[in-house]
Amino acid sequence: MDSGKSLDKHIQKSARFGAFLFIIFFLATISELTAGVLVAPTSVILSDKKRTGRLTVQNPTDRPKQVQISFSFGVPVSDSAGNIRLNLQDSAVTDERSALDWIKAFPKKMILEPNTSQVVRFLARPPKDLADGEYWARIMVRSQEGETSIPLPTEDDKITTKLNMIMQTAIVLKYRSGNLISKLEVRGTEVFSTDTMVTAFIDMVNRGNVSYVGILDCRLVDAKGREISSNDIDLAVYRELKRKVRLPIFSGNYAKPFKLEVSISTEGRKDIAAEDLIAGNRIEYSTTVP
Amino acid sequence: MYRGLRYIKSWLETGVVLVALLIGPSIIIKAQDVGTGIATANVLAALTVTSTHDLAFGDVVQGVQKIADKTVVAEAGVFQVTGAGGSEISMYLQLPPYLWNNTPNNEDRLICAFTTTDADIDTTAVGTPAAHGAGALVDLDPHGLPDTAIGVADNILQIFLGGTVYPSVDQRAGSYTADIILTVAYTGA
Repeated sequence: MDSGKSLDKHIQKSARFGAFLFIIFFLATISELTAGVLVAPTSVILSDKKRTGRLTVQNPTDRPKQVQISFSFGVPVSDSAGNIRLNLQDSAVTDERSALDWIKAFPKKMILEPNTSQVVRFLARPPKDLADGEYWARIMVRSQEGETSIPLPTEDDKITTKLNMIMQTAIVLKYRSGNLISKLEVRGTEVFSTDTMVTAFIDMVNRGNVSYVGILDCRLVDAKGREISSNDIDLAVYRELKRKVRLPIFSGNYAKPFKLEVSISTEGRKDIAAEDLIAGNRIEYSTTVP
Repeated sequence: MYRGLRYIKSWLETGVVLVALLIGPSIIIKAQDVGTGIATANVLAALTVTSTHDLAFGDVVQGVQKIADKTVVAEAGVFQVTGAGGSEISMYLQLPPYLWNNTPNNEDRLICAFTTTDADIDTTAVGTPAAHGAGALVDLDPHGLPDTAIGVADNILQIFLGGTVYPSVDQRAGSYTADIILTVAYTGA
């Protein structure tokens, strides 16, 4: 009887695995039909020891794409409501952490034929007396159709329009020099709650000389320590950042008062190669939900 | 009974292996195309931005404003962003104040505008301008799109955009063009 149940479970497991493979195949096919220019990796890290880097731009579509590489400067900033913005500047940048003036890209313009890829290389030529720490720029990968046609009016007195949809991806570029310190401090936490939602505002400041990149993990627990909900957010604090975190209160027999448990760490990022992460301090605390 | 189930099990396993053999190489080749010489972790997080439909006003008549509705499939401009599901992205749309007709001896400008409710964001793959997926954010200001996480289920985020053109009564006939630029960046990197 038990072996029968075990076998049923095994069959279900095999069927689920087959379905999973089918979904992957389906998504891969769909992405091939509709995908635009693909850019990888999502960050380029250079240093005193490694002054060159690379990035691959791929055109998986059946139409040629015109691709242009440029640089901007911008770090994530937040407003008082905890919303994050990336304000990009491409000229008149005076920030002391800007690498804009001494980073070069090769090539800067290209036409990517269907189903081809191009490696773009970066070279850093930093000034000699660079202070320890991290310097930043954004690699702007701009793509649009390689051949665009403007629709002609069907009659002489008609007006036709064509809006070219241009896509731009801003990739992080970091240059690291000398002794690197990754340190974060939480200046304050405000927590608000309704019957269905707890909203926390976590105000952080970077005390190191590199961007603090890690994970902000928030858990909402009841008086007995049972988890009500949780939220993991990829975190990048360059200077100051106020993050809004929303935690739903799901229906259940939860005992009040609720507690918000916060954990911030540079560990656990799966989207960044381990050698590119700089280990920093870990912050853990909890606060009672009013 | 047990023997029968064992046969089913072995056929299922064989099927799964065959499917894996057929599909596996294409997926592996796809990954290699993207990430030659790059760590696998980075390949997973690759960011793709695509325009799947242009904002289309169709034929425009002098003196009559024309709306491209963000909820009409044939009219809405559609951008798709694919990347790491759950990762938050910052989006910025550069919208033109006018379209330009650069035909020699016939140059003219066609005013266009975008209202504070001309954009919707959908984080599902099934959503269309006419029928959004669950949890879609509607009536957003395209000049200040909120930072939003890429949908976890489909690793996708779609932007549906509408707009209006205002031709003057003596607007020159011809073809008018302009650029709409979407800039996308991960906020957590």
